[in-house]
Amino acid sequence: MVNYGGDEVSALVIDIGTSSLRAGYAGDDTPKAIIPTYYGYLPTSGADVSMADGTEGTETSSNKTQPANTYIGQNGPSIWRPNMEIGNPLSDGLITNFDPIPPLIRHALEDVMRVDATEHPVLVTEPAWNTPENRERMAEIMFEEFNVPAFYIANTGVLNAFASGKGSALVVDIGQSMASVTPVVDGFVLRKGLAYSSIPRFVHNLSRSVLSMNSQYRLKADLWPHQLISSKMPVDVGHPPRYTLREERVAQTTESWKVWAENREIDEWLQSVGAVSDQGWNEQFLSRAAPKQYEFPTGYATTYGAERYQVSEHFFISNHNSPDQPKTLPGLITESLRACDPDLRQVLTSNIVLTGGGSLLTGLLDRLNIEMPRNFAHAKIHAPGNPIERRYGGWLGGSILASLGTFHQLWISKEEWQEHGKAIVGQRCK
Amino acid sequence: MAGVSLADIRSALSIPDSTEGAGPSQPKKQAQTTRKPEGISRELYSLIGPSQPFLAAQVAKPRLKQKPKFATGGTAATKWELRTVKNPARTDGLALKHWAKASEDPETESPFAKYNIQNPVYTYSQDEYSRFLDTSNRAATPKDANPDFEKQWTKDWTDYLFRLYNDYDGRWPVIWDRAEFPPEANFDLEDLKHRYYSVCRKLIRNRPWPGDEASKTALINSLQFDIEREKMRKRYVVSLESRTSEQMAEEDALYLEVRRLEQTERRFKRDREDLMRTLAGMDSGLPYIVEDNGGPLGILAESSSRGPTKKGRKNPALDGTDSPSTPSGPVSSTPTHKRPQNTKSAAYDAQHCIIRTELSSNTPATKAAHQPAYARSSKIPYLKNNSMQTKILQSFAEMGLSPSRLVMPTKENCAQLEGLLEAVTAMLETKKHLDKVDYDIQVLKKQLGMKTGEGDGDGEGSVKREETMDVDNPQDTETDGNEGRGQSVMSVRSVRSRKKSRAMSTSSVETAATSVSTRKRQKRG
Repeated sequence: MVNYGGDEVSALVIDIGTSSLRAGYAGDDTPKAIIPTYYGYLPTSGADVSMADGTEGTETSSNKTQPANTYIGQNGPSIWRPNMEIGNPLSDGLITNFDPIPPLIRHALEDVMRVDATEHPVLVTEPAWNTPENRERMAEIMFEEFNVPAFYIANTGVLNAFASGKGSALVVDIGQSMASVTPVVDGFVLRKGLAYSSIPRFVHNLSRSVLSMNSQYRLKADLWPHQLISSKMPVDVGHPPRYTLREERVAQTTESWKVWAENREIDEWLQSVGAVSDQGWNEQFLSRAAPKQYEFPTGYATTYGAERYQVSEHFFISNHNSPDQPKTLPGLITESLRACDPDLRQVLTSNIVLTGGGSLLTGLLDRLNIEMPRNFAHAKIHAPGNPIERRYGGWLGGSILASLGTFHQLWISKEEWQEHGKAIVGQRCK
Repeated sequence: MAGVSLADIRSALSIPDSTEGAGPSQPKKQAQTTRKPEGISRELYSLIGPSQPFLAAQVAKPRLKQKPKFATGGTAATKWELRTVKNPARTDGLALKHWAKASEDPETESPFAKYNIQNPVYTYSQDEYSRFLDTSNRAATPKDANPDFEKQWTKDWTDYLFRLYNDYDGRWPVIWDRAEFPPEANFDLEDLKHRYYSVCRKLIRNRPWPGDEASKTALINSLQFDIEREKMRKRYVVSLESRTSEQMAEEDALYLEVRRLEQTERRFKRDREDLMRTLAGMDSGLPYIVEDNGGPLGILAESSSRGPTKKGRKNPALDGTDSPSTPSGPVSSTPTHKRPQNTKSAAYDAQHCIIRTELSSNTPATKAAHQPAYARSSKIPYLKNNSMQTKILQSFAEMGLSPSRLVMPTKENCAQLEGLLEAVTAMLETKKHLDKVDYDIQVLKKQLGMKTGEGDGDGEGSVKREETMDVDNPQDTETDGNEGRGQSVMSVRSVRSRKKSRAMSTSSVETAATSVSTRKRQKRG
């Protein structure tokens, strides 16, 4: 037992990201509850009945704790409701609005996992650039609102390194909104070497402009989500779509819900069509690149050739025409390594951990594998082959950490919280 | 035959078994009546005996995986309890619960408590700080310290550094990352380390030490830190990293080149060794010749006795060229190896008229440089220049000598003959040049005459020109560009040398014609 180092105290692990909130038991290999971080709400405080999780019929428990007009979970934002707005508590990877956080966590723990948080120590993750105020606020929420017996907040960079079985690593994490490069040494983040940018969001916006532009090759794609389409006819590839909208719904759709739904379509397009060429930007190669067909919810189907590569190439190449482009991945890695001690660079480059759902983009790993050794000798990239591990690497690392026998002494207990106050968080979670 | 045991050998040699008196350390031998394992025929078993258990395992029939033994009635299921973990590192009342076997002692501490190790913490009082540790205090700084690396520290900063060290358990990269000193301090990671270790050393040195002196010095040594060297090392690391790809490619290419040269050298050495063994060792069968002419063999013996070279992974006995020295290295080391031997046997050599040819130290150790043994009479200096052969023979005939035969080919005679040959060759060369220049002068004179007296002999001139072309062409193909320059140089001396050559008159041969003919022959051959 000591060899394996685990000693379960049935802790819970909560990992909050821009796209989804993951929660589960420490010691598991996948989170039990994965719910979107986006939530729907009705701005008017009407007397609507909560439909938070209609399938599970947990309306009674939901009603007690969350405002009646908040819609959370798998059936939250994705179900169209008249005048429903969509919100996200995170911006740039940081929690900026703490109001929806307790309902989100409560939904994950109580409605999906059906556990009593007062019985379990809880480990929460944070991005490396989190502010001390944020982590203290999170501790406050967990202790005061959820009455957890013990709490810990750990860095996603460190946890991703742990998930790959490394104590020291250069963690390249590509999420939905942020890409970050975090040097981790002996389980500690080197804050001076931290580099992050919103390049995934930039690529996303670029995809939107590519899709919504009429070009000589194809029509612009209408990004109506299927919730707003009442019927459609099959059409040939490249032909204008024939569909009818649910006009009565369109009239009552809010702008934020429409943006959210369109973003989902764009993400889906990027995930299924987008790719990174492994040899870099090469017009000749791209003109010969195999086109890929994609059909939108409107029924409009078309093929994409060079655009597939053009968009995601911005992960690697900075475009001089767009000065507002965030730092590219190689730029982030170089910046991070330059800020590190020369002695550590060798260790870090030979332990690059690629993680995050954004890293699953076709060809991205191959491209990094080709680009890294050019600049750094002995560069070795470790990327989990299992997409679940790649997407929920932070949660997985938390699951490993919280189930370790040596971790028992690191928990911040409720007693300590009451005795020392907020300062204990900064002291304990270094 | 892997399984031949001592007992088998004993039985084969019919020696009585002596295990009874072998001693207590040996395990008691198994009972002789071991059962025949399944799957082996009786005959085979009687042949191989019980010493082949692995064979039986292979031959045995494959069996299904054994069913796990469940606690069916006989033993009850192990009882597990949800218990609170006892961890001495936790001083608060947090009750973490885990499942443990009910049979275990509930009072045992967590098995992970032993991993909670604290580093020794060094603290100092205000008095100690001002007496030993204050950097503004001259007396506190050691005399031998390099002032370049001694930065000014305040007590607050030092306190802060020690706090960080304890917080991060001495992980220096993390400490340096988290440390937030005011910008005027401008500390490197090495500065922090230097300060910490020097403070610790001073504290240990200046405090009463409870243990013995050796443990004190050991502890101080474990806290040594050479800031100068560390900074230099870091500079090296940085420069190693900042190499451009071209530089790295060049380094790789150079490395490959060295390897290639080494390999060629090794192969060549092996070839030569083979050749030496054939030529000197076996064919002649004379041991002293091996000593004498087999310089390379001596090298080989020497280099192999030099033991493993820098690259220890290669077989040093095979060749001496693996050493990083240049190819001429082993050869240049030869004289040092042979000289003592020579001085010793010099008397012997003189007595027996043995003459040793010494290889010059700068001769490359190639095949061509090697001289096997020979009879002097078989190596009378001979005409090497084929083009001059006939002329040289004629000259010798004029002198009444035979260049190919010596009545008494002693060393001196051979040398004299060689000198004579060289002199004749040189003379003939000079004469050839002279004749050619004479001829040119004649031609030019004719041309001049034609130019002055235009009407004189137009037809004659053209014929002459043709003739010159005929003669010169083959030469042109050989010497081409040098021709013109050679002529002009020669023409200066031509007047003088013409008279001389007439006076010498060693040969009446028409050299110009013969030289052309020999050249033609050469080309054909």
